[in-house]
Amino acid sequence: MTESEISQPNYLQVKKGLFSWIFTLDHKRIGLLYLYSVGAFFLVGVALGVLMRLELLNPGRDIIEAQTYNQVFTLHGVIMIFLFIIPSIPAVFGNFFLPIMLGTDDVAFPKLNLMSWWLYVVGALFALSTLVFGDGPADTGWTFYAPYSVKTGTNVSLSVLAAFILGFSSILTGLNFIVTIHRLRAPGMGFNDMPLFSWALYATSWIQLLATPIIGITLLMIVAERILGIGLFDPSIGGDPILYQHLFWIYSHPAVYIMALPAMGIVSEIIPTFAQRTIFGYKAIAYSSMAIAFVGYFVWGHHMFTSGMSGPAAYIFSILTFFVAIPTSIKVFNWLATLYKGSINIQVPLLFAVGFIFNFLIGGLTGLVNGALAADVHLHDTYFVVGHFHYVMFGGTGFAFFGALHYWYPKMWGKMYNRTVANLAFAILFIGFNMLYFPMFILGIMGMPRRYYDYLPEFHTFNQISTYGSWILVTGLLLMVYNLIKGYFSKPVSEPNPWNGITLEWQTKSPPPLHNFDKAPELVKGGPYNYPNAING
Amino acid sequence: MSNHNKTDHHKDDELHITSYSEHFGTWVSLILLTFMTVFISVYGADLNTLTVATALFIASVKALVVAYYFMHLKYDPRIYRVMLLVVMALFVVFLIMLIFDYLTR
Amino acid sequence: MEHTFSLPNSGHNYDAKASKLGMWLFLYTELLLFGGLFMVYMVYRSLNSDDFLIASFNLDVWLGAINTVVLLTSSMTIAMSITAIQLGNTKLSLRLQFLTVLAAVIFLVIKYFEWGAKIEHGLWPGMEHFISMPHGQQLYFYLYFFMTGLHGLHVVVGMIFILIVMNKIRKGSIHKNKHQLLENSGLYWHLVDLIWIYLFPLFYLIH
Repeated sequence: MTESEISQPNYLQVKKGLFSWIFTLDHKRIGLLYLYSVGAFFLVGVALGVLMRLELLNPGRDIIEAQTYNQVFTLHGVIMIFLFIIPSIPAVFGNFFLPIMLGTDDVAFPKLNLMSWWLYVVGALFALSTLVFGDGPADTGWTFYAPYSVKTGTNVSLSVLAAFILGFSSILTGLNFIVTIHRLRAPGMGFNDMPLFSWALYATSWIQLLATPIIGITLLMIVAERILGIGLFDPSIGGDPILYQHLFWIYSHPAVYIMALPAMGIVSEIIPTFAQRTIFGYKAIAYSSMAIAFVGYFVWGHHMFTSGMSGPAAYIFSILTFFVAIPTSIKVFNWLATLYKGSINIQVPLLFAVGFIFNFLIGGLTGLVNGALAADVHLHDTYFVVGHFHYVMFGGTGFAFFGALHYWYPKMWGKMYNRTVANLAFAILFIGFNMLYFPMFILGIMGMPRRYYDYLPEFHTFNQISTYGSWILVTGLLLMVYNLIKGYFSKPVSEPNPWNGITLEWQTKSPPPLHNFDKAPELVKGGPYNYPNAING
Repeated sequence: MSNHNKTDHHKDDELHITSYSEHFGTWVSLILLTFMTVFISVYGADLNTLTVATALFIASVKALVVAYYFMHLKYDPRIYRVMLLVVMALFVVFLIMLIFDYLTR
Repeated sequence: MEHTFSLPNSGHNYDAKASKLGMWLFLYTELLLFGGLFMVYMVYRSLNSDDFLIASFNLDVWLGAINTVVLLTSSMTIAMSITAIQLGNTKLSLRLQFLTVLAAVIFLVIKYFEWGAKIEHGLWPGMEHFISMPHGQQLYFYLYFFMTGLHGLHVVVGMIFILIVMNKIRKGSIHKNKHQLLENSGLYWHLVDLIWIYLFPLFYLIH
């Protein structure tokens, strides 16, 4: 191969102007397009969340009506799930870093990649258009449970179509990644020499590819029922609403792993870098991603224990649910074992990674409580569930997303944020997060149901604590965002590798050149995390 | 593109061309299977569930023939067969778990 | 592209194998898209097997069988067109693709008359005859229209795909040494056939 040293301009300088961005085929720019759009929707979702917490500060009606509240929590769910978490890590960091980590210059289908982003934008417009058209945004919850979703007067059709289009965008991203991983690895890089983030994305992509079509068709059935009168879940014609729940969760439970697996991949990148030693149990972490993806397909019924599903089916789903905990804890133990005897360099990304482990542990263990049949009968549809999935989704995936942002920030822009402020923002965020969501577990056990704008007076104290926590959380978030934006306008830093990482993205310049590498990258001998000075214990 | 990774392909570089006569033979067998399943359904004994099972069995044979010969799976690297098998197995497990709920209610 | 150095494993190279793998992955999503409908079919059929049986007598087995033959034949022609282009016979390849598109049109015309007859008999959801039927039979027709409708849509898409490929062959951007797009359109067309192979017995042959 040719090894000319002529350096290319970096991907940010190559071309200027709006069109050079929105029609770019460069995976790095597409990653940034996703970052900006996903980030904007995240802030909208946060605003809606804060609004709900504000309503729940005191019992009774405070600022919004019951119906508005129903629409707000639906929109919050739709935005956070379909517009933020599902595309967040794969579409932003996967797009930006997967090709670089594999030592190539782009994904396998650059045009398809751009199309995914455009589908995302169209889907987002559909979701937002419910605010203007028809009788307002859907009030069904993000699950669109039939038969209410086919009967309500609110604009369910558009929301559902939005989810369908966004699902398609997600499928195409997954497809692109799988082909990229199969076909474009650097010469000499086998599957077991890939960074663990790639493994996580590989597992995620298979879920995106194989689970999303099922919700696609299910949502089309809802639309067909609303528009054409083809009704399949309507009990009045002999349809079975529980079948809708089955189909919905056949996708939406694996979707939980679309959200969680990439986050685990991020943590598996951050921890070895800041422990400066090889990852403990590379294969165990890599294959446990695949195991989670696989087992995750067969546990959907645990969302339906109280819906009227048969008892024997419920036992089976419950047992399988407990199986998911095994590969998950394999990962946690391996991360901890990696930190043990490492030369730990405490920086913001590592703090977020450890924050992830802490929050995810609480979220995961409370998930087992929900997965146990007897406990679930009591806890189903209470705030316990709300606390559980926010710990997993926000405390887990959200924190990993922020961690990745801080970890790769110098690589993406060649700039650096203020590290002291970043530490402070993390601390506020972590405290606010736990204050906001931990009381929900207690409220749930006390019996407070979810999805109401009002509650009994005995739940007042914990709701107040939770709402105060939301203010602290938002303070931390805003400080973090401010710090990151301010960093963008700071002077460029010269060091391309501030954390002393050794995966391939750290070999190239910061920001990377247009085609990622000026010369063919050299693979690290002895695996992607073989740190030269590590104490191998 | 250079052939760098070992896992996906080793022997698939030489191009395999399916002959016209092989395609025609495939077509003949598919047509025969179609008439078989129609005749069993229209003139066959009324076996209820068994008829459906037979029809689905013949359909699966036809699907396999299409996938193997028309879709070239027979001559493709093994990974294509493995992946399709995994996907179909996954789908069948979905079906089993779903119907299990209804049969045990 | 202004760069001088390029990686051997670049994402910008023409890579027929990547293209083929991508197509297969897409076919899996299509399979599971229909898979969701087959799940619904399975559940409702198991709950209303007698009604499904009665309702299925409304369909014409022979029209279904003719359509099956049409689709199987078109599958053969598109498969042969790949052989033709691999052997360098572009003209024959184009002709065979034309036959495939023709078969697609015949399929759709027959389907149109089938649907038309059903709607004439008031079997479309919401019509008078439809409403008077037992729930199980209503579910059968809901599924019949939904599944064959979606399949018909795929026939149209597959047809357009082949037409695009034909156009590219005429312009010379698909040829003997670079014909993966034709193969992909073939794969897609076979998928349309595969789904019909299951739809046919499930709706027409369950007597």
